[in-house]
Amino acid sequence: MVYTRKDVSTLTRSERRRFVNALLELKRRGEYDDFVRTHIEYFTPDGEAGLRAAHMAPSFLPWHRKFLLDLESALRRVDDSVTLPYWDWTRDRKRTAVPWTDDLLGGTGRRSDRQVMSGPFAHRNGKWTIKVGVTDTEFLTRELGRPRDPIALPTAKDLEAALKDPVYDTAPWHSGSAKGFRNKIEGWGPGRGSASWRTHNRVHRWVGGHMMGGASVNDPVFWMHHAFVDLLWLRWQRRHQGARYLPAKPLARGDAQRGRVVARNQKMPPWDVTPAQMEDQSRIYRYA
Amino acid sequence: MRRRVLWGLCASAFSVALAPVLAASGTTPSESGADGKGPGPAGGEERFDETYRGRRIAGVRHDAGRPGESGPSEWHVTVDGRPLHLMRRADGSWMSMVDHYQSYATPLAAARAAVDELGPDARLVTTGERHSRMEDSHTVNRNEHAEGEHRRGVHA
Repeated sequence: MVYTRKDVSTLTRSERRRFVNALLELKRRGEYDDFVRTHIEYFTPDGEAGLRAAHMAPSFLPWHRKFLLDLESALRRVDDSVTLPYWDWTRDRKRTAVPWTDDLLGGTGRRSDRQVMSGPFAHRNGKWTIKVGVTDTEFLTRELGRPRDPIALPTAKDLEAALKDPVYDTAPWHSGSAKGFRNKIEGWGPGRGSASWRTHNRVHRWVGGHMMGGASVNDPVFWMHHAFVDLLWLRWQRRHQGARYLPAKPLARGDAQRGRVVARNQKMPPWDVTPAQMEDQSRIYRYA
Repeated sequence: MRRRVLWGLCASAFSVALAPVLAASGTTPSESGADGKGPGPAGGEERFDETYRGRRIAGVRHDAGRPGESGPSEWHVTVDGRPLHLMRRADGSWMSMVDHYQSYATPLAAARAAVDELGPDARLVTTGERHSRMEDSHTVNRNEHAEGEHRRGVHA
């Protein structure tokens, strides 16, 4: 039975409540924190040695697709009516709009320490203590829009520039890839400063707080953000029929990226799945 | 274990050695600090130690490289005495686990950016946690695997 992932702005009151409660239950059981750990562990930048599967690499998209499916499966074990909603940040752009309402994710952090004070994930409401992170902060932090140095969310025009690229990814298969849909969506731009934070990366910065770091999964908006990124991959696939994940085959001997990126039919750690196996999920879920 | 964790907190000598090769294929970071946050350490400088927004940030470059390697250098950076996990991008720039979706031209600029993100009260966590799930599933060769463990000595 194919289930539907919805735009978070369209969820009914009951759907919002059940989604939030399923997240809180995973947190209570300790399962949620395993997802935070996995994301931290797999953030291998491209100047470091070894295989990188999750970021700055072609498998950025299938890795996160699988990561989302695992979280969604866990949520659905708690409540089988729940699916992951997506946050279309080209439409819902206000700091007070969905998903930053008290019945979903709560609002931005307070000025002094960026602590989220409202909603179900506010530490003071007792159900969301940060246990896995790179700092000792126990409360969720955000700084929506980064008032001290404001940035804007990416726009539909920014997305179009990525979606029209007909090639999935290109050499050198890392954060320096100037062409290819993958890096245009992941968002590692050239240069320094605000202009170099694009698309997916820019959204992490716009939310701020925990979303800025390796422990970004601590903020449940991580899933809604990545569900939208996942939908963008699907849109790209539909627009460029026949276009596939690249590299198709392991890179040649002598290529500096050989053994450091996952080819289409290679397994993507920590799972036993390949990018090819993640390309079509139409039997599992669809987007509304 | 302790030693491993410490290594995990440093950018690897191997990646530093790689940087010139990779820089040739992409952009090269500028020599001084990023984002108008002031100058970074000059090219040959081997340490920094300053108070930035009330936090003491210190960094030392070690030229010894990792045991068994003859790589040029790596940086050990601390904020208020607690190790900051710095990593390298292919273009030679630096990023930390605190500020993970941007990179900086120098270790000092990355350390300052980490302080910006830490806010007034947060402290870096220094007790390591290695996650056993990784060790069953990693698919690269043994040396890289070992390094992966170091690098993932990130803290929970």
